Amino acid sequence: MERERGIIKENISKKKIVFFGIVPFVILGMMIVLILSYPSLFFNSQIIPVPEISIEKVEFEPLKIIATVRNTGHSEVSIVQADVNDRIHSAAMEPDSRLERFESATVIIPFTWNEGEPYGIGLTTDDGTRFEKTVQFATLTPQPTVKQASYFALIGTYVGVIPVMIGLLWYPFIRKLSLNKYNFFLSFTVGLLVFLGIDALLEGNEIVVRDISSAFHGQMLLIVIAILSLVSLIYVSSRLVKKAWAKSSDPEPVYTEVSKEDSSNVSSIHPSKQQLIIRPVALSMMIAIGIGLHNFGEGLAIGAAVLLGEVALSSFLILGFTLHNTTEGLAIVAPMARNKKLAIAKLILMGLIAGVPTIIGSWIGGFLYSPIATIIFLGIGSGAIFQVVYSVGSWMYYNNNRALTSFPIVSGFMLGIFIMYITGLLI
Amino acid sequence: MSHPKAIVLVGVIISILTLGVVTVLGSAKDENSTSNPKQFGGHTPGYGTYETTGSVLDPTSLPTDPKNSVVDPMKFLHEYNYGTVSHSANGSIIRDFTIIASDQNTKEISPGVNYNVWTFNNTVPGPTLRATEGDLIRINFINNGTGFHTMHFHGIHPSEMDGVFEGIAPGGKFTYEFVAEPFGVFPYHCHIQPLEEHITHGLYGALIIDPPKPRASADEMVMIMNGYDTDFDTENNFYTVNGIPYYYMHHPIQIEKDKLIRVYLLNMLEFDPLNNFHLHANLFNFYKTGTNLVPDEYTDIVTMNQGERGILEFSYKFPGKYMFHAHKTEFAEKGWMGTFLVNEPENAVNASSFTNTTRGISNMTTGGLT
Repeated sequence: MERERGIIKENISKKKIVFFGIVPFVILGMMIVLILSYPSLFFNSQIIPVPEISIEKVEFEPLKIIATVRNTGHSEVSIVQADVNDRIHSAAMEPDSRLERFESATVIIPFTWNEGEPYGIGLTTDDGTRFEKTVQFATLTPQPTVKQASYFALIGTYVGVIPVMIGLLWYPFIRKLSLNKYNFFLSFTVGLLVFLGIDALLEGNEIVVRDISSAFHGQMLLIVIAILSLVSLIYVSSRLVKKAWAKSSDPEPVYTEVSKEDSSNVSSIHPSKQQLIIRPVALSMMIAIGIGLHNFGEGLAIGAAVLLGEVALSSFLILGFTLHNTTEGLAIVAPMARNKKLAIAKLILMGLIAGVPTIIGSWIGGFLYSPIATIIFLGIGSGAIFQVVYSVGSWMYYNNNRALTSFPIVSGFMLGIFIMYITGLLI
Repeated sequence: MSHPKAIVLVGVIISILTLGVVTVLGSAKDENSTSNPKQFGGHTPGYGTYETTGSVLDPTSLPTDPKNSVVDPMKFLHEYNYGTVSHSANGSIIRDFTIIASDQNTKEISPGVNYNVWTFNNTVPGPTLRATEGDLIRINFINNGTGFHTMHFHGIHPSEMDGVFEGIAPGGKFTYEFVAEPFGVFPYHCHIQPLEEHITHGLYGALIIDPPKPRASADEMVMIMNGYDTDFDTENNFYTVNGIPYYYMHHPIQIEKDKLIRVYLLNMLEFDPLNNFHLHANLFNFYKTGTNLVPDEYTDIVTMNQGERGILEFSYKFPGKYMFHAHKTEFAEKGWMGTFLVNEPENAVNASSFTNTTRGISNMTTGGLT
């Protein structure tokens, strides 16, 4: 009796639930249709929407300047005039000069520009409002030729691959260290990872400010992507680790590889927490992937900087990147150093995973620059790095008697983040 | 457990449908882009000519015929309003003018650019009023605007006719009455504060007072240098002579070889302290303010501050096309340039047909500003 009543009640309530779930959507839909059908009921028709366009990209071709413009206002807009340095010029607009909301088009201005000079590209909308984008350094836009691609590959190799590989050479050194010194270097890598994660966000923010209209809420997009990337990577990696432990025939947790003075700590770790602890190789791989994503973003930024004439790539700049990124190799080898087996092939693979994305990034950034795509990648990269920080942090936490406040750890972290700042000054 | 999922599913479907409705309503666009390629660029030496299937943005060489144009510069060039003439008891001439001020019109000031202009008699610049020294000028002023406006004339007149202290309210009327003196060329403009706002929106024009003994017969024209600050940043976006940027580049002013040309030139530009006029391949006699019959200077360039004006007299020795423009090159490259087409006297008859054919002359220099 009791049970039957419960079932009936449940059925009714389920229908009700469905009903009450739909009602708000129906009302919302009706409201939207009403507002769109009779806007004059709701809005003063006297108010003329303010036009807003953003010039997202300016490219320099022989005897031509090409600008990509997007309507980021709330209503359609016509572009009626183009200028270079505030002087009106003949121009064409493809596909046409009328832009729907969020539509973009290309403006072609025949112009004999001079290499290395700054230019302001202006567009005027039909209400006479002028919008401008300044390019600091006019330079021929890289064309996707083999020569240009190999140039980017060379830059990417110098900036991404070589420094990481150099950093990997610390592997034998780290292997020989006592736990305290080892902890120092591990937290050192955490420090530099935190720096890189913040760096990616700031770089993304620069792009948002420079190239992305406020209509896209670029800063929020960057942070949302970073958080989504962080949370989903934490979830995925914990699932993978659990599966790996379940399959593993090796019952011995890796953190028993601690030196004598800390051996008492091992027994204090709760067995149920063992599954949350990641193997050093997996941890190194995660770091390599995180750094790879970061370097992909860095590559995008380098390619875009060349494309946008923001930077003249000098040997000094390359040197700065090289010094800066060498520490990334250290981050990869640090967790692996506790592993018994020497795994040179794996190390090289990780080095490539971390470094090669710089090359791919520079190709994409240099040939197909899109500010939105760039900040999405920077957001993912930043989230991935913070996920690695989380993983290394928790690994250290369980390996050090659930404390992260020992002197080697704190000093290593601080030095790591500070050295990144110092080497970053070279860029 | 399946029902909550169903709710979510239904919710998702409804949101997709709603988004669909929004997208459909929002994308009611008409595809009117034609596929036949148009040429652009190429009117300046060193610049290639390109073809596009898109839209051409080019006030510098495309003669457009705006439907809602702020003024017809070709008509304005030669149009003088002498008023309705009557005679007083003592036989002197009375000229009655009607001037209506408005401030609610949005007009096209450059191809595609619409701007809220404030006008005297619906044009920027306002009508050129003309009288002879000693005539009685009576201006029946009607303010059809939404704010206070006046007419302030340069010249000699009583305080109450100065159009400064008695603003005319919206819907109000006033008759400005004064004797035209001295001879010369004078601006008139609204004198309500903020002055800059009233002037830059277009409330100005020219008053020509001829000397009692007329000047030598000439092909006369009025040129008012002005600008438009269409985005209200106190910097002009456009510079023109007679209201529309580049107009006389694609509609050259037809003149006759060896004929005396007389230009009444006024500077009504706001924001920029200086403006100037430079004539190519020629020199002119300049009569500052036009108040003297003896030229002040024989030159090819004259620079004027805000409100300054004068008379230029010249004739061309050789036929052909000649530029005139601001030698402040920024202004030139934002619209203040034009051309004279000097014809042999017999060609002058066919001037109107020539206007269309000259469009084909592609080696016209907009870049050679010297």
